[in-house]
Amino acid sequence: MNGPASIPATAHDVADLLAEAARNRTRVVPVGAGTKVAWHHDPAPTAARLSTLGLTDGFLHDAGDLVATLPAGMTLADANARLALAGQWLPLDPSSDKRSTIGGLIAANASGPRRHRFGTPRDLIVGIEVALTDGRVVKAGGRVVKNVAGYDLSRLFCGSHGSLGVVTSATFKLAPIAFDSRTLVLQFPTLALALDSARALVHSDVTPSALELQGPDARLLVRFETTARASAAMADAARAHVGQMASTANIVGGDDEAALWHEHEARLTATEDETVVKVTTLPTRAPLILEGLGNAPLRAISGAAALGVLALRFRGEASAVVSAVDALHRRVLSQQGHLSVRHAPPAVREHLPPPPPAPASAVMHAVKRCFDPNGVLRRVPDGR
Amino acid sequence: MRLDSAFLERLRAAAPGGLITEPAARIAYETDALVHLRATPGAVVLPANATEVQAVVRLCHEAGVPFVARGHGTGLSGGALPHPDGVLIGLARLNRILDVDIPNLRVTVEPGVTNLEITKRVAPFGCYYAPDPSSQSVCSIGGNIAENSGGAHCLKYGFTVHHVLEVEAVLPDGTLTTIGSSCLDAPGLDLLGVVIGSEGTLAVVTRAVVRILRKPEAVMTLLAGCDSIDTAGEAVSAIIGHGIVPAAVEMMDRLTIDAAEASVAPGFPNTNAVLIVELDGPRVEVDDLFTVVERLCQESGARTVEIAYDQAQRERIWKGRKAAFAAMGRVSPNYYVQDGVVPRTRLSEVLGRIRALEARSGLRIGNVFHAGDGNLHPLICYDEAIAGQAAQAEAVASEILQYCIDAGGSITGEHGVGADKKAYMSTMFAEADLDAMQLVRCAFDPSGICNPGKVFPTPRLCGEVPGPYRQHPAERAGLAERF
Repeated sequence: MNGPASIPATAHDVADLLAEAARNRTRVVPVGAGTKVAWHHDPAPTAARLSTLGLTDGFLHDAGDLVATLPAGMTLADANARLALAGQWLPLDPSSDKRSTIGGLIAANASGPRRHRFGTPRDLIVGIEVALTDGRVVKAGGRVVKNVAGYDLSRLFCGSHGSLGVVTSATFKLAPIAFDSRTLVLQFPTLALALDSARALVHSDVTPSALELQGPDARLLVRFETTARASAAMADAARAHVGQMASTANIVGGDDEAALWHEHEARLTATEDETVVKVTTLPTRAPLILEGLGNAPLRAISGAAALGVLALRFRGEASAVVSAVDALHRRVLSQQGHLSVRHAPPAVREHLPPPPPAPASAVMHAVKRCFDPNGVLRRVPDGR
Repeated sequence: MRLDSAFLERLRAAAPGGLITEPAARIAYETDALVHLRATPGAVVLPANATEVQAVVRLCHEAGVPFVARGHGTGLSGGALPHPDGVLIGLARLNRILDVDIPNLRVTVEPGVTNLEITKRVAPFGCYYAPDPSSQSVCSIGGNIAENSGGAHCLKYGFTVHHVLEVEAVLPDGTLTTIGSSCLDAPGLDLLGVVIGSEGTLAVVTRAVVRILRKPEAVMTLLAGCDSIDTAGEAVSAIIGHGIVPAAVEMMDRLTIDAAEASVAPGFPNTNAVLIVELDGPRVEVDDLFTVVERLCQESGARTVEIAYDQAQRERIWKGRKAAFAAMGRVSPNYYVQDGVVPRTRLSEVLGRIRALEARSGLRIGNVFHAGDGNLHPLICYDEAIAGQAAQAEAVASEILQYCIDAGGSITGEHGVGADKKAYMSTMFAEADLDAMQLVRCAFDPSGICNPGKVFPTPRLCGEVPGPYRQHPAERAGLAERF
């Protein structure tokens, strides 16, 4: 990625830039804050950066309808600060990085611990506006939560990593800010026991908003966000349900709780020489997949324990990281799961065998050809 | 008719024992639940498994014959309206539950399994399948996927798209593939997100992996009788403004209350509007919030507030609500069900316009709606024995859609566009928006044989470029026409 960045201020300016690139057969990489560009590997030779940071107009919050339209260049932190004035928020908490933009979150379909309750951007988006390489600005969905008119292009763009068009704004379903929050912190002797306990909680009556694993030290963070009485009651019930398997079980609230989650969110922030991979698996198979990481240069594991979504951070000699990730990948594939590389130094990246293409990758490429016939934008995500 | 005997013989071989060609038998498939749109399919085939579905679609692809997939025919927008020169693929025989994985909360089903069957199968394990359209005892999961069905509880739990993780599907060229993944975050583009709700125009689903949920520990339901829909609406605003997202919020007006009483006698209060609010979740949370909801209903001016303390009382309330459509038959010889959406905060204004329309048209209009998400179901009463009334009802129904669009809403919240509402797509979306949707269509179905003539107002051919009119190869071959 090189060349100077253009910073268009309107959706139509974005569309004009894309159309010009299509005419000139040049390539464009749309970038928000750039915090998640590496999640989708695209070793394209030269491309001009198109920054979405100028797209900051058009914030519209309908508190009574629990929806908001957010411009792509606005940061999630800014959006949530404004939504909080009416006691609401866009319930996504992808990282502690305050720079993440709405457009980038959609393109990467990024989420964090509260995914356990609220899902990912694709679960919350109800409408979208995008600029296409034919120079047009188009909309899909709407500003109401319930709507089945026409194809759902909003979801198609979630996780499309800037390959089909440039998201210029989107409308989301919001959530009320919880009355109260409490977190149960459980320390286990092994990762397998932590994962078993996470599943046991899912099959009980408690309804956590987040249920995160921390490894390799085998901790579970179980967050309850509802009324003060119910948060406390559920934290107690959860401790009673799985506490006997844990070596320690403490309930925290207030500033201690905030610090705990801040630290957790920062666990995946990788330095340049580190490698981060994301693994998804059926929840029951997570312990099998994590077995055999014994000698790996593993720094941290975190993720939605009960959903089977885990991120692992490695640091060490490139060859040792490559062999650890490769072995992990084989175990993941043998359990019908998926592994994707989110960040890796070149010395690691170039030695990792590519994953198999997605079963419907031919259709993904057909969609790409229809939306971007001149190949202006990034490579389409197709599993590889 | 283009289905010559050679083609029919190949079709017979593709799905042994499943071909229906007799005109009298084909007529049984001429409509879905939107009965005023009818077309007799050129042939009906009832495959027994995915391999046969694939063989049928491949034959259609090779011969350029259009096909329409059909679940249990409960759709309300003519999405399964057959093509007179095409093949109707009935999926009712693919009706097995293939796998129940309680530890991972996943169930694998064939498309002909009904929505409620999933819940029945997993209920002994304390689980259920969340989307609950009113027709859930008869509608198929395949149809739910096509329409992205919701239900009364989608305010809190979302739609079909939030609960289906993976499908096996036959693409319009006959390729059998997997879209999505039973593990989360399937690699690549989210094709599943666009296939769900595509009304059978992108693929034929032959298997689905759905997510099931643990039954909530507690459920509490409240029935409030109000002097007006406005009062009921104020209560809903107060509840949402208070940071409470109920599992369901439903409203009915006088005409639909009377109809429900005449039909299933749920014992609703004798008021101009009723509001049903249901909370579910952990016991302590439900207890806390229910107290607040009850108070907010009273403060908003509800005349009566009745609380269902047990399952029987709750079922009686829901029976009254779910019977509302069918019950209109008790108060009117015919009725037309509309499905539109408005931002919830503009409900009162739009209902005012509907009341004025009722007075102006002379046709009675009952209103029952999912009040939490602004999804209206006006029921327009008419008598087809009176000349011109059916057409008048349709005109009234379409005017209501215009009100929804004016208020920033949608022409359909859950019934789909199908054949019924495709003409309204251009009032909700700009030409460029529809063109962008068409790009997806062209990627999946470049020859336009998969449920053609649905969803989009004008069938645009793939590969068309703006500029002077040129005949498309498919037009020359007589496969498509412009209008």
